[in-house]
Amino acid sequence: MTMKKYLCVVRSPSGKCSPPSPSQMEEMYAKFNAWKDKFEANIFDMGSKLGDAGKVVSQAKTLDGPFVEVKEIIGGYMIIEAESMEKAIEVVKESPGVGSPESSVEIREMMQPPME
Amino acid sequence: MNNNLVEHFFRHEYGHLVAVLTQKVGFSHIQDVEDAVQNALITALESWKHKGTPDKPHAWIYRVASNNIIGTLRQNNRRSEILEQKLDATESIDETDIESMLSNEFKDGILNWLFICCHPSIPIESQLVFALKTLCGFSIKEIAIRLFISEANVYKRYSRARTYLKNHSNELSQLKRIDHSIRLSAVNKVLYLIFTEGYLSSHLEHSIRSEMCEDAMRLTTILVDNPVGKVPESFALLALMHLHIARLPARVNNNNELLLLEQQDRGLWDQNHIHQGLHWLSHASVGDDFSRYHAEAGIAIEHCLAPTFNQTRWDKIVKCYDLLEKTSPSALHRLNKSVALAQWQGSEVGLTELNKQNTPQWLLDSYQYHAVQSDLNRRCGNIKQAEISAQIAMEMAPTPAIRKSLSSRLKVNC
Repeated sequence: MTMKKYLCVVRSPSGKCSPPSPSQMEEMYAKFNAWKDKFEANIFDMGSKLGDAGKVVSQAKTLDGPFVEVKEIIGGYMIIEAESMEKAIEVVKESPGVGSPESSVEIREMMQPPME
Repeated sequence: MNNNLVEHFFRHEYGHLVAVLTQKVGFSHIQDVEDAVQNALITALESWKHKGTPDKPHAWIYRVASNNIIGTLRQNNRRSEILEQKLDATESIDETDIESMLSNEFKDGILNWLFICCHPSIPIESQLVFALKTLCGFSIKEIAIRLFISEANVYKRYSRARTYLKNHSNELSQLKRIDHSIRLSAVNKVLYLIFTEGYLSSHLEHSIRSEMCEDAMRLTTILVDNPVGKVPESFALLALMHLHIARLPARVNNNNELLLLEQQDRGLWDQNHIHQGLHWLSHASVGDDFSRYHAEAGIAIEHCLAPTFNQTRWDKIVKCYDLLEKTSPSALHRLNKSVALAQWQGSEVGLTELNKQNTPQWLLDSYQYHAVQSDLNRRCGNIKQAEISAQIAMEMAPTPAIRKSLSSRLKVNC
């Protein structure tokens, strides 16, 4: 079965929450690595964290980001490979990124350009 | 990818870096250092997620934390060239050297930090909290859970120590060898407290308890590795820790219920820790020094070496309790002694010993006292008194786990 690529955009609530303690970081890192090992085959690009600043450019004008709502920020992205949207959801659902109750991940299929 | 970080890497790294960097840049910047280290750990977490754990994780975090603190100090116009030279000295060396340099420097730094924490002008409860926060890397909230006090109270104790040290930062850099010897007992006491808070708090789940015990043992091991800590008192303390940790695996059953010594599977006791305990106890048995740690280790070793509960040498244990009473008198020790005495010479002797004492109110307010009263009275045939004491003990039991353990021990139907 051909694998499709999915762009995953991680949204988190904005505003300062208290930073994790070293013990919590340990736990987060362990969970993350366990997830990464489990779905190694599905992770195409671990992506990166996105900066806080953002702009929206259109014909008329340049607007300040953020783009969705002031309440949430887009924290990071990654690209995963899966045979279907269902499988992609499964991979993302188990990721520590959706672990916190207010965070969410938007999954969009990346369409391949048609073969010449 | 290399995921092989040692257990509690982040927590320990936090403690090591706060200790080492604060000593480099001066105590007046301790808050900045704490933030710099916290941010370095977050940077590591984010970066390592994408790139994997680096080969030299200590050096990696050290660099980031150093850069963070230099950045902050620059921003605050507190720039000092000497300071930067100290921190930049690592830039030209390669990472393998940093790692080995760090491991030595860290041990000295941690140790020196312990002696700084134990300043005689800081109350012991503040010393304890300060050590847990800065050396063990626990957050205020985590300490509150571990010590059963409010977060506000933890913060108060913590700031008290920090403020004192900040205001006296000039003296701290000149901590002399002589101060080390004078403060050694205070250092031992804080390590002992970290250990016992972990070991005795039956309220906590097993993993939390053993974490504090292991931290205390880790720090004590660093202490006895250094010339300043090579004294019988510290050896006895380390022996005591090994001998208690050896018995931890058998303290609860599969349902996480507390087990009495009599019920414990001695096969589960960790022989390696018992051997370590014996080793350090033999080092501790030189000279004229006899500390409370000697007495407590003496009691622990008797339990560890007894093949069965009934073959325990209760006479030796009673003797150790007498010695303990001499070095650090406490009604709790006398309570324990009467239990040992009951095993050795019979329930009546134990009960007489218990009743002839003046029991302070704080002990009368504890479930332990009434549980022992109930048990000894039942064994003496005073069934009515046994039942009254059992009821009081059950009502005072702080957790359901303890209540359950009591009800089977005191044969109460609840």
